[in-house]
Amino acid sequence: MVDASILKELRAAVDGPDGASAAKRSSGLITEPSQLKTYECDGLTNFRVEPSAVVLPRSAEQVQAVVQICAKHKVPFVARGSGTGLSGGALPAEGGVVISFARMNRILEIDIPNQRVVVEPGVINQHVTDAVAEHGYFYAPDPSSQSVCTIGGNVAENAGGAHCLKYGFTTTHVLGMQVVLPNGEMAMLGGPVQDVPGYDLTGVFVGSEGTLGVATKIILRIVRRPETVQVLLAAFDSIAAAGQTVSDVIAAGMLPAAMEIMDRLSAKASEAAAHPNYPVCEALLLIELDGLAPEVAAQMSEACALCEKNGAWEVRVAQTAEKRALIWKGRKAAFAAMGRISPNYIVQDGVIPRTALPEVLEKITHMSAEVGLRVANVFHAGDGNLHPMVLYDQAIAGQEEIALDLSYRILHLCVDHGGSITGEHGVGKEKQQAMGYMFTEPDLETMQRVRRAFDPENIANPDKVFPRTKLCGEKTGPYTPHPLEQAGVAEFF
Amino acid sequence: MIGVIDIEALISSLPGVKGARDKDGRVVALPSTVEQVAAVTASVDGHGLAIEITGAGTKRGWGNPVRADLVLNTTRLEGVREHRWQDLTATVGAGTTWAAMQKELAEHGQFVALDPLWPEMATVGGVIATNDSGVLRMQYGSLRDLIIGMTIVLADGTIAKSGGKVVKNVAGYDLHKLMTGAFGTLGVIAEVTFRLHPLPAQTEAWSASSTDADALGFLMTRVLDSNLSVRAMQLRASIQGYSLDVELASLPEVMAQQMDRLNGLARGSGGSCTTKPNVASNLFRTREHLFSYDYVLKVTMLPASIGHLARDVVQLGGMAVTQASGIMLAGFRETTAVNALPHLYEYIDRARGTVAVLKGNKQQWPTWPAQPAREKTGLRLMQQVKQQFDPRRTLNPGRFMGGI
Repeated sequence: MVDASILKELRAAVDGPDGASAAKRSSGLITEPSQLKTYECDGLTNFRVEPSAVVLPRSAEQVQAVVQICAKHKVPFVARGSGTGLSGGALPAEGGVVISFARMNRILEIDIPNQRVVVEPGVINQHVTDAVAEHGYFYAPDPSSQSVCTIGGNVAENAGGAHCLKYGFTTTHVLGMQVVLPNGEMAMLGGPVQDVPGYDLTGVFVGSEGTLGVATKIILRIVRRPETVQVLLAAFDSIAAAGQTVSDVIAAGMLPAAMEIMDRLSAKASEAAAHPNYPVCEALLLIELDGLAPEVAAQMSEACALCEKNGAWEVRVAQTAEKRALIWKGRKAAFAAMGRISPNYIVQDGVIPRTALPEVLEKITHMSAEVGLRVANVFHAGDGNLHPMVLYDQAIAGQEEIALDLSYRILHLCVDHGGSITGEHGVGKEKQQAMGYMFTEPDLETMQRVRRAFDPENIANPDKVFPRTKLCGEKTGPYTPHPLEQAGVAEFF
Repeated sequence: MIGVIDIEALISSLPGVKGARDKDGRVVALPSTVEQVAAVTASVDGHGLAIEITGAGTKRGWGNPVRADLVLNTTRLEGVREHRWQDLTATVGAGTTWAAMQKELAEHGQFVALDPLWPEMATVGGVIATNDSGVLRMQYGSLRDLIIGMTIVLADGTIAKSGGKVVKNVAGYDLHKLMTGAFGTLGVIAEVTFRLHPLPAQTEAWSASSTDADALGFLMTRVLDSNLSVRAMQLRASIQGYSLDVELASLPEVMAQQMDRLNGLARGSGGSCTTKPNVASNLFRTREHLFSYDYVLKVTMLPASIGHLARDVVQLGGMAVTQASGIMLAGFRETTAVNALPHLYEYIDRARGTVAVLKGNKQQWPTWPAQPAREKTGLRLMQQVKQQFDPRRTLNPGRFMGGI
């Protein structure tokens, strides 16, 4: 619990010994209950916890001072960027401190010849691209929230986006980081060059959802903007036909920048929200190809032919940058657009091997009919990342529980088909129990070893990612015999 | 304890595990399944003995020497277990040789987009444990980007899986990233799932030669800054001169146009260089020849430093091959190394680079030179990770940096 003396220490850490007024700027400590409310949840709004305090440090040293205070008093802390996460990763810990990076939003260095940018964690994703665009570069990971989400949050979640099919995820683009460890020590993981000697702690830290410490400076790799970009939109009578086209494109040796499918329900909602002029159809396939103009032209005609071969009754290639932007605007508005067709919805983030797409979608349709709730589907089809949206009405008693249950059963379905419970939103608070379905206890226990090495006191974003104590009737995955048992050396009684 | 245990008997008591002796007379355990690996590590760990893990042994000298009681050889963990070509993924036993794996994947026109050293001999597990890579890295990334799942066996016999069989997956910690480049000090890599890429339809190589390293270094950054479909790029440096080799992967109909653009960049880069298509076979395996030298160093640097560090190596009496991603292998003869290395270390430091001695007199030149302030905290963190994964120091003890 954060008492008055700890608050005093925190205030000194972020405002300096003389206080904020001496420096003529607003305090970096928030304790007013009305203001704390802002921080009680992230993009996953059905979990809420009011923090004891929020700090807004301005420098890595201030972050370190805050974490040192937390470590000394064993107070849990949770880092927060823009709070756009969809799995409750930035949900405050009970009685804990939230470290907001809103004031650490400077781009520190732009190094075009070496294709690197150094940023503070509070920098908005889109601002990195904006800062290097004049040199012909961009920052590739592009989650739908890129205009508001921060690089620090992206690092915590290993954020993806529509274009990671070709360009990779946040982890592909992070070379190194300055971090504050949960014991308050500052460390440099990785660096500006490749293969810095030592364990790849950068690789482990990215995507650890704030459970291993807090990044205070991040070295990013930027990518040359392709010469040409073309987007194709194709309308199909079935998701299976659109899915087959995706497989055919991959089999033809193409690696598009993005391949997205929207079903009738989500396309309809996006149309209402963003007016991208989508055809009305059962499945809308969007393919983006980029590269050298003649290569893109050749691949685009091949992709169009594959769409037609699979029964597309309309194939459109966007001819201008404005038309391309409009097509993407519709796709990126898909989640928010659900508000237009349903009072409430739950977005899930399962992943399946691409080839399992028709079977899994058929099962989802069946499951949705069984409980009488609609499920809209938007997915990154190229990498099998589904975003089923379970639509429901909170005002109807019991419907939220049915919706939640359905959304978790969809995740189990993904795991049953060899996939994952999360492709880019993270486990956070939302899916911590589902981790027990995807991984066995030895898998999870091995991951906990990493956690204990970084955070033996368990104060960095505690009670996230890993399942809580097993609930009655909960399954934790198939039984794995002990190796000695399997080798016939020992037996369990 | 050691000495009273009959290691050979211990290994032969484990069902399915083959035993042998190496040329030094040490017992070698050859498990053929993940469970057998676990049986070996658990029983050895329980007796307080130490294991050296090997595949084909091609990079055995890269880390620090290991004092182990027996060898765990992974070469019987071989074979492509599953190739889901429509999903562009494959799961492979860690003992499979890199070339054997690629041959099988090529049947569906796919490959793991990485070109490590000595692919005909090197095993998948060994390539990963040492985080080896080649020229393809600039286009496709490193093992960190290509491995999507892994089965590992810890010292105490725990079998753990991380990642999965799908390309996009952020559930749980990426243990496979921790294992990559850990030199087998945290666990035994038993099975690996890779994301695959389609083999390119057509590739063509081109070289620019010059006596001016800086001019070619500059040209390299210009090519990096271009939109050309470059698949591989390296700068070769020796007393005979410098050569920038570029491999393009494109459609046949646009290849000529790309070559023209490449020539245009070369003309506009200052310095005089001769350009020509290069049809030499194994052009991008040239770095393997460096291992005939007494000393081989792995140096990492920013791409813009490649030209001048390559020149420094030549001026100090060595030769080098540097990938465009900023990873150099430099070779020196015994006679020049003593004078050359201190200077080179200084230049590397100034360029914010790093160095590791892969081959040479390790007593005199430790694999990982001490990096003063950098990294007390980093090293302590690594030691804590080791302590959690292998508290008895059973696996490859001492092989890694800082005595890990």
